Amino acid sequence: MINAVLVFNNNGQPRLTKFYTHLDTSTQQRLISEIFTLVANRPSSSCNFLPLPPLLASASTSTSVSSSPSDTPSLITYRHYATLYFIVISTSTESPLALLDLIQVFVEALDRLFENVCELDLIFNYETLHATLGEMIVGGVVVETGLDKVVDGVKSQGRVAKRPGGEGLRGVGGAGLGAGVWAGR
Amino acid sequence: MHIIFFFILALLDYSHNTSQLRQKCLRNHKGTEREYVQDSIRECRKEIKSQDMGPTDMKATALLKLTYLEMFGHDMSWASFNVLEVMSSQKYQQKRVGYLGAVQSFRPDTEVLMLAENLLKKDLSSPVPITIALPLAAIPHVISPPMANSLLSDLLPRLTHSHPAIKKKTIVTLYRLALVYPETLRPAWPKIKERLSDESEDPSVTASIINVVCELGWRRPQDFLPLAPRLFDLLVQGGNNWMAIKIIKLFAVLTPLEPRLVKKLVPPLTSLIKTTPAMSLLYECINGIIQGGILEESEGSVEGNEIAKLCVGKLRSMLTVEGDPNLKYVALLAFAKIVVSHPFLVSQHQDVILECIDDADISIRTRALDLVVDMVNADNLMTIVERLMRQLKNSPLASKSDDPTNDRGVHEGIVPTADSDDEDMEESLQKPERGSDQPPPLPDDYRKSVITRILDMCYRDIYSNVSDFEWFIEILVQLVKQVPTTAKAETEKPGDFGGFQDNADISYRIGYELQNVAVRVKSMRYEATRAAQALILVDQRDSLFPASGNSGYGVLASAAWIVGEYSDMLPNPDDVMSSLLHTSTSQLPAPLLAVYLQAMPKVLARLTSNQQYSWTADRKMTTTLLLARVIHFLEPLATHPSLEVQERAVEFLELLRLASEAASGQAPQNEEETFADAPLLLTQAIPSLFTGLELNPVAPGAQRKVPLPEDLDLDAPINEQLQMLLQQADYDSLLEDDEDESYDHYYKGPRSTAPPPVSAADRLDSQAIQNASYQQSAHEEEYLDPEVAARRRTERRERYKDDPFYIDSDRASGRSTPIHNVIRSNNGEELDVDTIPIMDLNIGNGEGSEMPTSHSAPASKTQNRRPRTPIIIQSDETLGDDEHSNAFATSSRPQLQSRPKKSLLQVDSSGLGSFSLDESRVPSNRLDVEKRAAEEAEMQRAMKEIERLRLEMQRANERIQARAGENEEGDLVKRKKKKKKKVVAAGDAGDTAEAVGETGEEAQGAVVKKKKKKKVKVEEVGSGEGSAEDEAPIRTKKKKRRQINLKGDDVMQ
Repeated sequence: MINAVLVFNNNGQPRLTKFYTHLDTSTQQRLISEIFTLVANRPSSSCNFLPLPPLLASASTSTSVSSSPSDTPSLITYRHYATLYFIVISTSTESPLALLDLIQVFVEALDRLFENVCELDLIFNYETLHATLGEMIVGGVVVETGLDKVVDGVKSQGRVAKRPGGEGLRGVGGAGLGAGVWAGR
Repeated sequence: MHIIFFFILALLDYSHNTSQLRQKCLRNHKGTEREYVQDSIRECRKEIKSQDMGPTDMKATALLKLTYLEMFGHDMSWASFNVLEVMSSQKYQQKRVGYLGAVQSFRPDTEVLMLAENLLKKDLSSPVPITIALPLAAIPHVISPPMANSLLSDLLPRLTHSHPAIKKKTIVTLYRLALVYPETLRPAWPKIKERLSDESEDPSVTASIINVVCELGWRRPQDFLPLAPRLFDLLVQGGNNWMAIKIIKLFAVLTPLEPRLVKKLVPPLTSLIKTTPAMSLLYECINGIIQGGILEESEGSVEGNEIAKLCVGKLRSMLTVEGDPNLKYVALLAFAKIVVSHPFLVSQHQDVILECIDDADISIRTRALDLVVDMVNADNLMTIVERLMRQLKNSPLASKSDDPTNDRGVHEGIVPTADSDDEDMEESLQKPERGSDQPPPLPDDYRKSVITRILDMCYRDIYSNVSDFEWFIEILVQLVKQVPTTAKAETEKPGDFGGFQDNADISYRIGYELQNVAVRVKSMRYEATRAAQALILVDQRDSLFPASGNSGYGVLASAAWIVGEYSDMLPNPDDVMSSLLHTSTSQLPAPLLAVYLQAMPKVLARLTSNQQYSWTADRKMTTTLLLARVIHFLEPLATHPSLEVQERAVEFLELLRLASEAASGQAPQNEEETFADAPLLLTQAIPSLFTGLELNPVAPGAQRKVPLPEDLDLDAPINEQLQMLLQQADYDSLLEDDEDESYDHYYKGPRSTAPPPVSAADRLDSQAIQNASYQQSAHEEEYLDPEVAARRRTERRERYKDDPFYIDSDRASGRSTPIHNVIRSNNGEELDVDTIPIMDLNIGNGEGSEMPTSHSAPASKTQNRRPRTPIIIQSDETLGDDEHSNAFATSSRPQLQSRPKKSLLQVDSSGLGSFSLDESRVPSNRLDVEKRAAEEAEMQRAMKEIERLRLEMQRANERIQARAGENEEGDLVKRKKKKKKKVVAAGDAGDTAEAVGETGEEAQGAVVKKKKKKKVKVEEVGSGEGSAEDEAPIRTKKKKRRQINLKGDDVMQ
């Protein structure tokens, strides 16, 4: 199952934290900063899987490689989009490549909802961000992977606010990325 | 308003040079972000307490702000009651904020949850789907066992909700319920199964069920075997790759239980591998084949070989593909799983795998490293290790600034700061990923794991893969320089002494291997000693040890032991001695220092004990000088804070003072003599302390195999009067507190110290030097006058007459157990150490290679390596067969392993693992839902009973009336009655038991009750019996019963 979904920016400031198992606030913060340290040092050419941070590694030194499934979070998948890192912490019952696709769907759904999404959208529409995630993952289990259904689900909850001042500064230039990478997997 | 808030927060995070408004805000708050946040929280605190639930949304907005700040680590648990207030709002938008706040801040132990329960129930039964979705998403975050019990009845009906989104969320929520309270799965599972087998179900609901089943599946695979046909159908139907991945994962845990599945699965998996365009599905197919043991099952057959080749071939191409490191990573993961069972398959692809060891990406490297350890054999060991060594050497040690603990945010938490560029934030997310292309320096833990892996690889099966030990020793010495800086605190732990191999510091491990080689491989002992000498020498320290800090010093413990133990092999003992006595030595951590102290007299003995040379004036001078140096070094250590160091220092100090006396007392060779003997103490006594039987490695369990003497009764009291004596001692000490000797010793200072050193010399001159022990108290007889000794003995006996702990050799009182005799007789005659059957090792005769326990290095197969004589590696000594020692080793550990420390974020599903979904199982305690259903059934029964009685009374009434009227028309009445009943039965089938007849009903009640007891199994029989007793005309009864039966069915399951 999925243990946590995190979104933070290039400076390690969280934009979304969702822990599907209980963790007290200070440990959450430590975990975020540990993962950020790991992820920030990675060149763009490296793979999208992180070694376990010290907080998680302590209890699962040997189980990380073992083939049998367990409850221990052993897989950290991330993707980096412009200013944001999207992180998924999960157990070995999740497929690593499928999680990458899941993050992609999440971002595409946000993009669809906000029309060329950027970090500011997520700050101003904190609630919508959570609602989108809630349409895809409930209690650590993936419930929906279809882009349209996710978007419809969020829209059914009410109008999605646009960012104030209409500062859609960017063109639609980067929006094509998703489809290309997406089809490959 | 809340927009402005976020705006300001966002600005705090970012900079401010584009918009005027932002500049304005930031000018107000620049540099005072923390204060601003505190102000905001204070403001929120005020707003959230307000009763305003109206159109301005003030309360909800304040909550949203708090939730946002919670993300940065600002506690909001104080607001939990206000969260609840917002949750109960009538407006959906406010409600949603409330639920979000609850999800982010509530914990299963939050107190207001008790109050929230009713709200959750209410919202679950709301007619609006989006409202139902809110509690469904929130419940997994806050659920506790009692709550699970009570919410279950509200959740179950949602499984059949018309909206697929509600259905799938309910399924997942039920799974989370089962995690905290496994019993809830019993009523929920049949319904979930029903949904799964429904072909017309929404595909996304089916996918969610598969996800949940996959989570449940690995915990209790046997319960899910019956689903296999349906899962297989879903897999073959295809369409949804996500679902297919999960199904394959599920099958991977099912196949080991049902080998027949393998045959069925191979064709669809093969075709998926060949045809699917989705890389993730392709990978999971291969993964499923590996993990499900399909490779083993189909081994040998043509089909099996083909699929193995296909899988490995695909994995290889994933490794070699350019531009997608993710595929490399997962392929290595898959290889790591194959290598356990099919090492030969993996070693065919050694070339590409070894490339990955040097990959720029640390994640890939780590995986490759894991894999390589299992892949290693005698042929490729040197290649692999050298490759890793090169990697270690070529990258600099990580500097302090890379240390994650220095990272901002670790200590004070992440605070919004106004430091970055606004441009960033508006950058579209849908842009190519970016980042610097510089490879990161090797982090310390990676470095550490590389060293560990190198040692593991070489040590595997007691060096069976190492063919060149000179090379190995060289590697060990070089590894020392690569040891990363570690926290030194752990080497200071007093309890760690001696347990070097367990020590977290990797340098201890390196030293341990060196020591291991020195002990086990006799032919390499000289080389190992030379290496140890190199490590010990102070002047070589700069070139052999890492430059920064004193990391790597752990290796010194073993090196010091080696130079001491094998001091006769030292090429340069003088320099070693100087290094041992170097001023820096006394700064070493206590455990290290203790080992050094032990090594010192051994090296000293090597330097001074030569009997071949005459005791010349020159030799006398160097010896006394050396002794003086050692004594000078030891003296300050006699007051060292570590007891271990202190004890050793004091012991050797005494001994060496004696030696020093002896050396200066012995007249040197003069002109006319040709040879003068060196002092015996130096040439014989001190060396004899350290020579004798050779030290051999002992298997961990060997000690346990020493047979217990039959007549040793460990339960026998040593002194039967102990209790009484103890009581007396207590009483005495109360009276004579002031005269307590130990009290005096500790609080007033020692009254009488040990005899001055001078007396030692006297002792020496008078008595046997051959005796190895120089502890003055234990053997005073040997140097004291016989008379004095006798007098002392009687005095002592007097003094200790009542001391139960004093074991007097002469005291043979009948009441106290003569333990001395027990020991003597057991150790002396029966338990002669020599009679303990120790396996003959025969190392010297070259027969060692024939013994099962010793390993000789396999002859090298490659031509280009120089031919080597087989090296004999001593294995652990043990008694008898290894079985016991293994059992010991495993039995002592499980306490630690069975309950491993729970990882952060880990879900505890241990309850589920022991929970059986077996439907015939008798439930131990009933859930609320079940109770309620049972109550309903009971109520219905009671209603029927009342109805029956009513009818009976009515009939009785009629009968009376009839009798009062016409007695002879009885037949007619009866017929009428029957007719009436029929009418009612036809008219009202579904309602209460109006039409149910008298006798039959009673019987049925009994049957139902019986059923209750016998549970579900008797169902069929029960209804059969019932119908046998039925009267033909009463049709409805049967219907009725079936209804009840169905209910019962549900309840029971």
